[in-house]
Amino acid sequence: MTVRLLHTADWQIGKLFGQFEPDQAALLAEARFKAVERLAALASEEALDLVLVAGDVFDAQGVADRTIHRLFNALAGFSGRWVMLPGNHDAALSESVWTRAARLHAIPDKVSLCLAPEPLLLEELGVAILPAPLTQRNTFDDLSEWFVSAETPPGMLRIGLAHGSVRGILAEAIDSANPIAAGRAEQAALDYLALGDWHGSRQVDARSWYSGTPESDRFRANQSGQALLVELTEPRALPTVRPLRTGRHRWRSEALTLQVPSDIEQALQRIAGFSTDEVVQLSLSGQTDLAGHRRLRKAIGQAEGRVHSLLSDFSALRLEPTADDIDALQADGYLGEVIDELRSQQQGGQGEVAREALTLLAGILDERRRDTGSGSKAGSDAESCMESKAASKANTTGAL
Amino acid sequence: MKLTRIRIEQFRQFRQALEIGDLDAGLNLFTGANEAGKSTIVAALRAAFFERHRSGSVDDFCPWGDSSASPGVELDFTLGDHDYRLSKSFLGRKRCELQVGSRRLDGADAEDHLADVLGFRYAGRGASAAEHWGIPGLLWIPQGGAQEIRESVTHATDHLRKALNESLGEVASSGGDEVMATVEAQRNELLTPATGAVRGEYATAIKREAALASELDAIRSEITNYRQKVDRLSALRREHAIDESEKPWLHFRKEHQAAIDKLAAIQRVEETHAAEKQRASQVDEQIKLLREQVDGFATQKQAAETRTAALDKALQERSTSLALVAQWLEKRVEASAGYAVARERLRLVRQEDTRRSLTRQLDEIREQAEGVVIALTKAEAEQATLLDKQRLAAAAEIKPAELATLREQHRQIRELHIHQTAAATRLRFSLDDGRRIGIAGESLSGSGERLLLATTQITLPGFGKLEIAPGGKDLAQLGRQESELRDRHAALLQRLGLSGLDDAEARQQSYAERLGEVKTATATLKALAPKGVDALRGELASQQARAGDIEAKLRRLPPTVDDASALPSVAEAEAAENGAGQSLTQINQQLHQAQLGAANAEANCAAATRELASATALLDAPERAAREMAANRDLVDTLAERHTLATRIAALRQQVCEARPDILKQDVERFAKSAEQHEKRFGERRDTLLRLEVELQAAGAQGLEERSAELARDLAQAQRRAEELRRRAGALDHLLQLLRDKRRLLTSKLQAPLQKHFNHYLQLLFAQASLEIDENLSPGPLTRLGVSGSESGAFEALSFGAREQMGVISRLAYADLLKEAGRPTLIILDDALVHSDDERLAQMKRALFDAATRHQILLFTCHPANWRDLGVPARSLESLRAAG
Repeated sequence: MTVRLLHTADWQIGKLFGQFEPDQAALLAEARFKAVERLAALASEEALDLVLVAGDVFDAQGVADRTIHRLFNALAGFSGRWVMLPGNHDAALSESVWTRAARLHAIPDKVSLCLAPEPLLLEELGVAILPAPLTQRNTFDDLSEWFVSAETPPGMLRIGLAHGSVRGILAEAIDSANPIAAGRAEQAALDYLALGDWHGSRQVDARSWYSGTPESDRFRANQSGQALLVELTEPRALPTVRPLRTGRHRWRSEALTLQVPSDIEQALQRIAGFSTDEVVQLSLSGQTDLAGHRRLRKAIGQAEGRVHSLLSDFSALRLEPTADDIDALQADGYLGEVIDELRSQQQGGQGEVAREALTLLAGILDERRRDTGSGSKAGSDAESCMESKAASKANTTGAL
Repeated sequence: MKLTRIRIEQFRQFRQALEIGDLDAGLNLFTGANEAGKSTIVAALRAAFFERHRSGSVDDFCPWGDSSASPGVELDFTLGDHDYRLSKSFLGRKRCELQVGSRRLDGADAEDHLADVLGFRYAGRGASAAEHWGIPGLLWIPQGGAQEIRESVTHATDHLRKALNESLGEVASSGGDEVMATVEAQRNELLTPATGAVRGEYATAIKREAALASELDAIRSEITNYRQKVDRLSALRREHAIDESEKPWLHFRKEHQAAIDKLAAIQRVEETHAAEKQRASQVDEQIKLLREQVDGFATQKQAAETRTAALDKALQERSTSLALVAQWLEKRVEASAGYAVARERLRLVRQEDTRRSLTRQLDEIREQAEGVVIALTKAEAEQATLLDKQRLAAAAEIKPAELATLREQHRQIRELHIHQTAAATRLRFSLDDGRRIGIAGESLSGSGERLLLATTQITLPGFGKLEIAPGGKDLAQLGRQESELRDRHAALLQRLGLSGLDDAEARQQSYAERLGEVKTATATLKALAPKGVDALRGELASQQARAGDIEAKLRRLPPTVDDASALPSVAEAEAAENGAGQSLTQINQQLHQAQLGAANAEANCAAATRELASATALLDAPERAAREMAANRDLVDTLAERHTLATRIAALRQQVCEARPDILKQDVERFAKSAEQHEKRFGERRDTLLRLEVELQAAGAQGLEERSAELARDLAQAQRRAEELRRRAGALDHLLQLLRDKRRLLTSKLQAPLQKHFNHYLQLLFAQASLEIDENLSPGPLTRLGVSGSESGAFEALSFGAREQMGVISRLAYADLLKEAGRPTLIILDDALVHSDDERLAQMKRALFDAATRHQILLFTCHPANWRDLGVPARSLESLRAAG
């Protein structure tokens, strides 16, 4: 009576990504539906018996009707049993996304909602699900407590379904809401405890796992973008758990420090290494000359066109124009003095303004130099001015 | 550049050629009156350089009225190491030749060469104007134009800059100003130039950010509200479920019923208590009646005894009163007898007393009457005498007035007679004897004398008659008066019955004597009968009548008693009678009192007898004893019942008090209300639940949180955009500021040489003053040491004279700068510094003299006296023209 199921959680449908530009943000939001579709496809391919969703299906109670419909439509790829548990984002309140979904008749029959702490018996599979749904947004009671005393028909697999923090695993979770006692699977004689809330996959004990979110949604979440394929052969046998990659986007946070000229090369290589599906957060620190800065900007500009999303932070990177830089910019006379002044001001209280000003000035000079170089000195001043404006704007956006 | 010779021909004032040679390398002073041609020389110099020889717009160069002339200028000068000769003529003969050393340039080439060397430009078309003049325009100061420096500096700025740069030997910046313009333009897209307020895209971004933030706030508060409603829904549902299963109002209904029952029970007890209390009050009433009854019987017995005693007392009082009456009756008999005796005696005493009194009166009256009779007789005799005398007196009476009249008349007659005699014609006659004559009828003889008072006829017998009329007319009048008076005198005498005046005097004497006699007789009569004789007669008659009356009274009195002498006095008798009367009255009063007391006692006695009889009758009633006993027995029974009742009532009250019916009533109300409340709340909650469910369904459909997330996303983007622009604006602003600062610093560094030259001259004019030089190399604010420390003022704020001086100084400074840069300099001053005071002018001369050591200066003036101390000879235009 082997039962094969897919354990997933934290779909966070309806989540938006304000930190990104609108088009990128829209894609990231869309990717969450896609992930669900992939899960369905996966379950179908693997001919699984069951899909368990351990909470936070929706990112918020107040998602649009359209979003609700879309989510349930995304399940179309798998016609088997879906068991869903409300989490802290979509708790089973008296009026909740679930009651709305029911009213909208959006929930297909193949989906079992665990809105109350009572066993769900899936006779045909020989599985008894013991759910611990959140009926408040946050609680400091252990909702899985009742598993211990829950009676299930003999011979049926006992599978717990809970959303929260297992105590004692991470220091930061000690006082967090929605606690789950460590060793709950053992105490309640569960064959498997499917957990949600942590966005990275993680094994808690022999029978307890966090599946993580199927599509990453933040930079700090190791092992996210996965689902777990769980095989249970018979009651009391240990489960076989196999993580499956489901996420499309890798979220990556890079911090590059530039100290010596050769660091630029390394940084450029790193930037060149960013791949298409990556969502990157890049912070630069240290110092560079104008040439290096220009090359970095250029590389980042190229990467922005290539990777899914790129957030770069230049605020900690100091500009140190060299004599060559200044020569190259033809910054003679008092312009040279201005550059010197700005360079030294980077250290002071107005450092950021000075850095920005320096970048701007360098951009303008660079533009002029190129205009002069192309022999269009005689061309109208207005035109060159406009171009330099455009260039400086590009620089600014690149710096963000 | 040094001019050595000037020749002008057919040019305005100079129809004839004017040549000025041997010009000094330093100062050259030209003097001349107005219209002498100073300005024409300057104009000619300008024409030689600034105007194209081919120019058609130089008609004004011709001498007046000579339009066919060919105005010409020829100049010799050295420039650098070269000698130049410029020959230029206009209009009629257009020609331009420039000899440079051995090289010769013609026409436009010559002109362009000069413009290049001297630093000016030609006008494209038309006459040359200020903007073309460059360096010469700055250094050649036109008449009255020294103070106007800014514009001419502007036209020479490029040359000055170049001179400065060359002197500094470095390039400022190959494109600094363009970069700055770019930065400024970009900055001004985001910030206003004046105040640095946000504008354009930046302002839009900030506005959008704020709008999104407030929208997000609104939607978040909506979400909060929604969540609260959801929580409320849960709570209500929970409560509703509990109520539905427990139905708490049923419990309260039950309690309510129990309270009602309890209250009814205690109300019944209360009713019993009230009934018992009523019964007790009835018993109390009964006891009261019975007690009254028993008391009644006792009272009756006591009343009978009292009555008996009262009767005894009344009887005794009656007998005492009667005894008193008898005593007083006896005493009254005695007193009545005594009183009668006293009265009789008093009557007798009074009678005798009257008699004595009347007799005495009668004697007195009779005596008086006798006296009156004597007096009357005397008086009557005296009265007769008086009457006689009075008659005699009346016969001799003459009135004193009449007597006086008589006397006066007599005197007057005598006087009149005397007057007549005096005035009368005296007629004396002595008649021969015998002869007679009649005078006034009187015949006379003998001798005699007559006084003729009136016309008198004298009869001379035998002869006829003589009528003599006395001469004076008074005589006649006097005669008339005398006769009148004699008539009146006679009449009066006649009336008085007198013969003459002597008679009257005698009668008056007689009358006085008789009046004295009458007076004496009257006094005698008065002494005898003061009130007259008739009064005496009346008195006599009345006394006689009184005597008769008294006699009659005496006759009417009873005869005298025997023992009249033994009788007491009247006063004694009256006192005795009075005492007896009073005694009798008192006794009568006492008797009356006693009789009243006796009557009262009798009445009391009768009443007491009656009352005793009735009291005794009550006591002797047949069933009285039986009734009294029954009443006593009833009283005892009733008291016993009363005690029992009191005990029962106390017990009942205790029971009611313990049950607290007021609280029980409140319980009934409370439980009823509680039940209602619960039912009502249940109903209301059901309604609220329905409403909430509907509301939440509606609100949920709006997808608030998703909308909020969208807004948050948009807001984050807007914030990023605003932040970008803020940083950009800040950076641009900072950059612009920095560029400006650096440029200013550089400019001041660049201007240092010019500054040096300025200061050189400035010190001659104002010790310790300094002058700033602005962007365009024009003189800026002047800072001097004033009375209140350092004072700074714009060039334009200086006085006209000072501006003129500064204008000249500036030009000298520019000339020095240009000289250092190897540019040609020639300074021309046309009637400059006319507004300077002597002191300043002296300083200016020092400056000019100093400048002349480096530059050639042509100075034109119409005030030769002002410039005498310049150390150079003045050339008078008049003499120059004469020489020409």
